[in-house]
Amino acid sequence: MRGLYIHIPFCISKCRYCDFYSLTAVPELLDRYVDALLAEADSYNGGDFDTLYIGGGTPSLLGSERLEKLVNGLSRRFDLEDIRESTIEVNPESAGRDFLATAYSMNIRRVSIGAQSLNAEELRKAGRVHDRRQVLDAVDAALASGFQNISTDVMIGLPGQTAQSLGNTLNIIIGAGVNHISAYCLSIEEGTAFFRCPPPDLPGEDDQASLYESAVDILGAHGFAHYEISNFALPGFKCQHNLNYWRGGEYIGLGPAAASHIGGKRFRNAPCLERYLDDPSSTREEEERLDDRRKVGEEAMLRLRLIEEGLDIKEMAGKYGQTSINSLEARLDDLVSRRLLVRDGHVFRLIPGSVLTSNSVFIDVIG
Amino acid sequence: MNNLRNFSIIAHIDHGKSTLADRILEMTGMVRKTSMDQMLDSMDLERERGITIKAKSVRMPYKSADGNEYILNLIDTPGHVDFSYEVSRSLKACEGAVLLVDATQGVEAQTIANANLALDAGLKIIPVINKIDLPNAMIDDCSLQIYTMLGLGIEDILHVSAKDGRGVAELLEAIVERILPPSGSVSDPLKCLIFDSFYDPYRGVIPHLRVFSGHIASGDRIMLKSSEKIFEIEEVGYFSLGLARSEHVQAGEVGYAVALIRDAGEIHVGDTIVAADHPEVPAIPGFRMSQPMVYCGVYPIITSDYAKLGAALEKFKLNDSSVVFEKENSAALGYGYRMGFLGMLHMEIALERLKREYEQDIIATMPSVIYRVFLKDDEILMLDNPSKFPPEGEIDHIEEPIIRTRIIVPSDYVGPCMELSDAKRGVLVGIEHPDDRRAILVYDLPLSEMITDFYDRLKSVSRGYASMDYEMHGYRAGDLVKVDILVNNGAVDALSYIAPKEGAAVRGRALIHKLSKTIPKHLFKIPLQAAIGSQVIAREDIFPRRKDVLAKCYGGDITRKRKLLEKQKEGKKKMKMVGFVEVPQEAFLSLMKIED
Repeated sequence: MRGLYIHIPFCISKCRYCDFYSLTAVPELLDRYVDALLAEADSYNGGDFDTLYIGGGTPSLLGSERLEKLVNGLSRRFDLEDIRESTIEVNPESAGRDFLATAYSMNIRRVSIGAQSLNAEELRKAGRVHDRRQVLDAVDAALASGFQNISTDVMIGLPGQTAQSLGNTLNIIIGAGVNHISAYCLSIEEGTAFFRCPPPDLPGEDDQASLYESAVDILGAHGFAHYEISNFALPGFKCQHNLNYWRGGEYIGLGPAAASHIGGKRFRNAPCLERYLDDPSSTREEEERLDDRRKVGEEAMLRLRLIEEGLDIKEMAGKYGQTSINSLEARLDDLVSRRLLVRDGHVFRLIPGSVLTSNSVFIDVIG
Repeated sequence: MNNLRNFSIIAHIDHGKSTLADRILEMTGMVRKTSMDQMLDSMDLERERGITIKAKSVRMPYKSADGNEYILNLIDTPGHVDFSYEVSRSLKACEGAVLLVDATQGVEAQTIANANLALDAGLKIIPVINKIDLPNAMIDDCSLQIYTMLGLGIEDILHVSAKDGRGVAELLEAIVERILPPSGSVSDPLKCLIFDSFYDPYRGVIPHLRVFSGHIASGDRIMLKSSEKIFEIEEVGYFSLGLARSEHVQAGEVGYAVALIRDAGEIHVGDTIVAADHPEVPAIPGFRMSQPMVYCGVYPIITSDYAKLGAALEKFKLNDSSVVFEKENSAALGYGYRMGFLGMLHMEIALERLKREYEQDIIATMPSVIYRVFLKDDEILMLDNPSKFPPEGEIDHIEEPIIRTRIIVPSDYVGPCMELSDAKRGVLVGIEHPDDRRAILVYDLPLSEMITDFYDRLKSVSRGYASMDYEMHGYRAGDLVKVDILVNNGAVDALSYIAPKEGAAVRGRALIHKLSKTIPKHLFKIPLQAAIGSQVIAREDIFPRRKDVLAKCYGGDITRKRKLLEKQKEGKKKMKMVGFVEVPQEAFLSLMKIED
C-alpha cells in the first residue's frame, strides 16, 4: 500500500485552534503553487499509488480549474491507474457544486467536509468562517454531485460544548447522509489563538472525556464502527488512505509541511511557502531513518490505534522477523497482564473502555 | 617571610567575592583580562549558583608601588552558613581578610558572621565597599554600617568596583601595607594546618596546607595529629592556577602535599600535620570532625541500581569527605542510603552533583534533623529518620536541635519577620537596632523549621531584604509527633515526618493537598491520607486520569507523536514506583514549601 498526499496550505482565515501550516489564499499565489506541486512531483520520477488524498488547509480554495490542472498533472507524473480511494477535503464555505462536480469528474470519489460543529456559538468561538446551513449545503452538494462516500470532521471539546450540543451536531450530520466521521478531541497547541488566549468555557479534560464517550455511544447506536481512536465509519467506508498511515505503510506528501515515509525514511518539507515556491524539491528536513527497534515500536503504536483490527503480532513478525519482534511481544504481554491490553490469539487490542487513556499504553509500547 | 601576605576575601553571598578574586588575578598577571569569569569557582555548579562551594587558593607575585616584590596567597572561602567551620579553618590559615560589602545592599547577616569569624581568628580586617559603579550605591550608609555594626574604622574603608577594576590597585597596596607578614620559625619543628583538600584519582587525597613552623618537603615523614597516622610525603608545592611543584613549603607559606593518601576519611579540615619524629608538637586549636546536621534518604529510581549508587557514593565521599552515608532499607522505596550533610545547601549541592557528575538517577526523601528520643524505659535514641521512630506509647518525650539565628531586616519588615519566626516556633532572644533603619532579630528556632521553608518565607515576607545567619544552639524539648503518609492505602515510610502536635492536622491537610497535585493522575483512584498513629488527620483522593490520548495521528504527525511519547517515557523514568503508584521526586520534598 502506498499513499499520495497533496497539501493545500491555504485558508480563508485561521481557526482559533489550528496549528497546521496554512496561509491566506491569493489567486496569483494559487497558480504558482499548483506549478510548484507538479515540479515537486517531477522530482520523484514516477511512482504508483493506491490512495490519493488532497488535504489542507482548504483544498476547495483551489477552484475547479486549478484542481483539474493539478490532478491531470499528477496523473501524467505518477501511475494513478490503480487508485482505490481518492479524497478531497473541502470547507463548507467553499464547497460549491461546481467545484464538487469537477472533483467528481477527476475521479475523486470521497469528500471530507470540515464541519467541526453544527452549533452556531461553537462555530463562532472556534473562529470558523461558515455557518450551520453551509455544512448541510455542502453535504447536499456532494450528494448531488455523485459522491457516495462523504466524511465530516467534528470537534470534541469546543468552547461551550455540551453533551447535548455535540449530540445534536452528530445526529444532524448523520441524518444528512454522511458515512464517515472523524471526531477529534480539541487539543490546545502552541502557536494557536486558543493557546495565547484560552477561552474561559473550554471543557476540561474530564468533560472532554465525557463528551468523547457520549460521541462514541451515539455513533455506535447509528451503526458507525469505531475503527480508530478518532474515526468512525459505516461498513465499507473506512478511510483507506489513513489506514495506510496506521498500518505503517509508505506515503509521499507534496507541499510545504507535508510529510513522507518511503524507503525506510521519514522526512517532511519545511513549513515555508516562500522557500517551497522558490525550489519545491529542496526543502526537505527532519529526515530520519528509523532503526528496527524504533520502527517496530512506532508501527505497533500506530496499529494499536486501530481499535477493531488491532496489532497482529504474526503479521509484524512476517514484516520484521521474529527476533525484532520478541521484545515488543514481551512488552505487549506485560501490558496484557496489567489489564491495559487484551490479547486474542496473535492479535493485541486496546481495551474498548480505556481508549482515551491509550497514551499510557503507547508509552510502554514504543520501547 | 616578610614579603608574604596570606589573606581571604569574606562577604555575604552575592556581594562580589568571586568577581573581586578575578580582578586580583588579572592585576597580578596571573590571568589575562577575563577570558573566563570567576576563575576560582571551578565547579560548574559553583558558577551556576554563583557561590563558592570548596575553598581554593592561589599564590600570586605582586610588585608594590614602592618597588618591593611580594607573594600574595589568596585563600578563597566558601560563602555559606553550612560551611562556617570550613570558613573558620581557611581564615585560620591567613593573617588578614578583605571584608567585602555590597554598596547597594549594605552589611548583611553573613557579613557579620564572617567578620566575627575573622576577628576570632585574630585577623587584620580590611573593610571594602564593592559595586561603587552601580547607580544605587549607598557608600555613606555602608560606611556607617561597617562602623556601627562591625566596629571597624570608617577611615580604613576602601571603595572598589570589582566589576570595572576601580580601587583594586589601592586594595592590593592596602593588603601589603596593613596585613602583617606571617610569623613562625623555619627552624622549629613542622606544624601545619589542613584547611582544605581535594581528591585526585591518581595521587589520592591532596591536603591544602598552611605551614606555621618548620618546613615540609618530599621524603618527609609526617603525622596527622587527630589519628596519629604516619605518611611519607611524595611531593609538595604551591598553588598557581594549578599545582606548581616546589622543593619545599616552609613556615608562613601556603601549599599542598601529596602523600598517596587513598582514603579521604584520613584527611580532616582543621587537623594538624607535624613531623613524625616530633609528635609532641601540639595541635592547632579548634579542630573538630565535621558533623552532619541534616539527613535524607537517597534511593535509586530503578531498584537494581542500588549497587551502582553505592559505588558512586564511595567515589563521591573521596571528593567531599563531609558527607556521611550508610545503608538504609525502606519498605516503600527498597534499598538505598541514608546520607548526612552539613546543611541544606550542602545537601542540595551534593545531590545535584550525584545526579550530574556521577550520573545517578535518584530520589531523595524529605530531609530530617537528628532528634533525641527519650524512651519511657530511660533509653535515649538519636534518630535522623522519622520512619525509625518507636511507637508513640514507648516515647517519653522528644528533643530537637535548635539554632540561634541572627536576622537583619529593615525596620519596616520587623513585624512580618517576627510573626513568621513566632509561627515557626521561634523564641525571641533579643532585638538590636544598629541604626534607625534596620533591626537585628536574634531568635532560637528549631533546625527542622529552618530546613523546610524558613529562609524562603523570610525572604518573601521581607521582600528579599532580610538576611540571616545561624549557628547550632543545642537541643530543646518539643511537643512532637510522627505523622505517617498513606498512598493508595499503604504507609510510605519515606514520607513520614516529625511535626509539632499543635497544628499537625492543618499541616497534614496542606501536605496531602500538595501531594494530590504532585503525584500524577493514574488510571485508578489513589487515596492519600495523613495519620498520627491510627488516627487519620487528613484525606484526599487523586481521581483517575480519564484522558491522555493523542487524538490525531496522521502522516506528518507520526514522528512528532513518537518523539512526544519518548519524551513522556523519559519523564516517567524519573519517577519512583511505590507499590503501583509512580511518585515523582517533588512529592518526597512536598513537606518543604507548604503554604500555611
